[in-house]
Amino acid sequence: MDVVEYRAGKREGTRHEKMASRRLLAHKTSLCVKRNYLIFWGEIMTDALKEKPNAEPLPRATSAGVVVEGRYIPPPEDREGRSWVRTTAHVQADPQTLYQLWSDLENVPQWQEQIVKVERTGDRTSRWTMQAGDKTFKWNSEILAAEPGRRIAWKTIDGDLQQAGEVVFEPAPGNRGTLVTLLQEFEIGKWKSATATIGNRNPKQGVTENLRHFKALAETGEIPRVQGQPHGPRGIVAGAKEAMYGERIPTPPGQSRAAQTGSGKS
Amino acid sequence: MKALCWMGKGKVEVHTVPDPQILNAHDAVIRVTRTAICGSDLHLFDGFIPTMEQGDILGHEFMGIVEDVGKEVTNLRKGDRVVVPFTIACGNCEFCKKKLWSACDNTNPNAHLMETAYGYSGSGLFGYSHMMGGYAGGQSQYVRVPFANVGPLKIESDLPDEKVLFLSDIFPTGYMAAENAQIQENDIVAVWGCGPVGQFAIASAFMLRAARVIAIDRLPERLEMARSIGAITVDYSEDDVNVLTALKDLTGGIGPDSCIDAVGLEAHSNELQGIYDVVKTALMLEQDRPSVLRQAIQAVRKGGTVSIPGVYGGLLDKVPFGAAFGKGITMKMGQTNMHNYMKPLLERIEKRQIDPSYIISHRIGLDQAPDMYKVWRDKKERVTKIVIDPWLA
Repeated sequence: MDVVEYRAGKREGTRHEKMASRRLLAHKTSLCVKRNYLIFWGEIMTDALKEKPNAEPLPRATSAGVVVEGRYIPPPEDREGRSWVRTTAHVQADPQTLYQLWSDLENVPQWQEQIVKVERTGDRTSRWTMQAGDKTFKWNSEILAAEPGRRIAWKTIDGDLQQAGEVVFEPAPGNRGTLVTLLQEFEIGKWKSATATIGNRNPKQGVTENLRHFKALAETGEIPRVQGQPHGPRGIVAGAKEAMYGERIPTPPGQSRAAQTGSGKS
Repeated sequence: MKALCWMGKGKVEVHTVPDPQILNAHDAVIRVTRTAICGSDLHLFDGFIPTMEQGDILGHEFMGIVEDVGKEVTNLRKGDRVVVPFTIACGNCEFCKKKLWSACDNTNPNAHLMETAYGYSGSGLFGYSHMMGGYAGGQSQYVRVPFANVGPLKIESDLPDEKVLFLSDIFPTGYMAAENAQIQENDIVAVWGCGPVGQFAIASAFMLRAARVIAIDRLPERLEMARSIGAITVDYSEDDVNVLTALKDLTGGIGPDSCIDAVGLEAHSNELQGIYDVVKTALMLEQDRPSVLRQAIQAVRKGGTVSIPGVYGGLLDKVPFGAAFGKGITMKMGQTNMHNYMKPLLERIEKRQIDPSYIISHRIGLDQAPDMYKVWRDKKERVTKIVIDPWLA
């Protein structure tokens, strides 16, 4: 199964759904789209404007993508039992390097919050352990698509969390680094998403923070942190606010593999 | 170690806290030899900046001796003498590459707080609220400096601390204000606020070839200081002085080419608008008191430039945008891109083109700092700049 089908099959009626079903349709009719999720822009563009020396080729459409046939599509809206988050980052590194950093599953605890262990259990499967305070969450995950240097899609198979996601790496216009777009879906109620969250962190916020950590690690070789620094007496209010700001969530260690083996960049 | 902590609006205290440690591979720990209280620390003291929390260590102007470095720090070693910029920059992101260091993407661990308020997050700052990163500041005996390969400027000459300390913020901030003012040779420049940043903006305007600098304030000691470096002063608190009239009188009726607002969100005004802002901020219907900004926009010549080094925090009321549009002015502002200016300005100090220590009025130990915050706020004792030796008993 492929993420496009997975999503289109489950969401109906919204604007996003229309785009998704369009993609599904395209998927069935065009080999090119099926393979690469490419849409030929030439067919919809006129030649009214010829003077655009630096215009980029329009982005290709994928599940996580933000542009379909030249139109911006907004992130999917939450519905009962299902919560979506789409987030993007502009990273100063090439798509291939970022793809490798993302695919290095055993290294994920270095940059994803509260993930303490990821073990490979097969060619496309892995077992994840999340530690949030005194609570442990475990799940199995499966890679649905892996196009080196371009995109990765995954979905949980079983366990304490149900989620699916896709990350896309595209060269930024003018080759100013890479645009990373991440779409993640959780099976979680609206109420729960708004309040309880997974391990004291709203899962949506967690996804955003994880991409931020990923970017920082890729660009600088570390993740910025203030945990462990000195401060004066906090009192009750400031302590509560620390938790509200998310400062109690442990910042991931942020050691890239290269740094761990002593060949890190500065 | 001893550190000055923010304990609530109008309340700072010296506390003994643990020494800072290396937390990341690019960190350094500095033994602070001199630090200063900034005008913008008063915005924290007065409770204008949200997400300051009890126990936060203050201070973003400091220098000292490198005590320890993380394993990825390559350009500093123990014993080096450094001035540290108040903006923390990673050096590798899109913004650092564009030399917009204060817009760094990777140094604010609480970026989401700032994104909520401002749309995007700027760089982390030392001792300037959780929204700006929550980093412990340098009004303390030791301080941790992240991304130490990028920020700290090594001082290899024997210049005394007091001559180079202000490279940590206010000298570059004043300089960038003058640069942002787009001064052309022989221009007339008006500067509101003759505190430390205003002083350095005046000095920098002259260095950038302004012919006439008009300085506006109400405190005699500051106006005196501005005159001492060549400015013409306007005391707006005098009964018969109208600033806009004064600026017309001093420019042949066309207005200054550039106006620099070195005051920011806690401006005082003896006009009706000043009362308006005091009432509205007291009722929490307005966050900032932008009377200087309004005046600068009104005063600048057609097609001129308004440069804003003064800090603003939130939503501003009754800003004359019509006047800004009608005259086709340019406005430039923002946190200082420190890393662009520290080295060139150090060279100017080394060449004796300027001695920034002329603004210092008080030299104290850390224990006196809580009282001096009040003196600084109330502008008593002819205070112009307070420098702290955190090791002074």
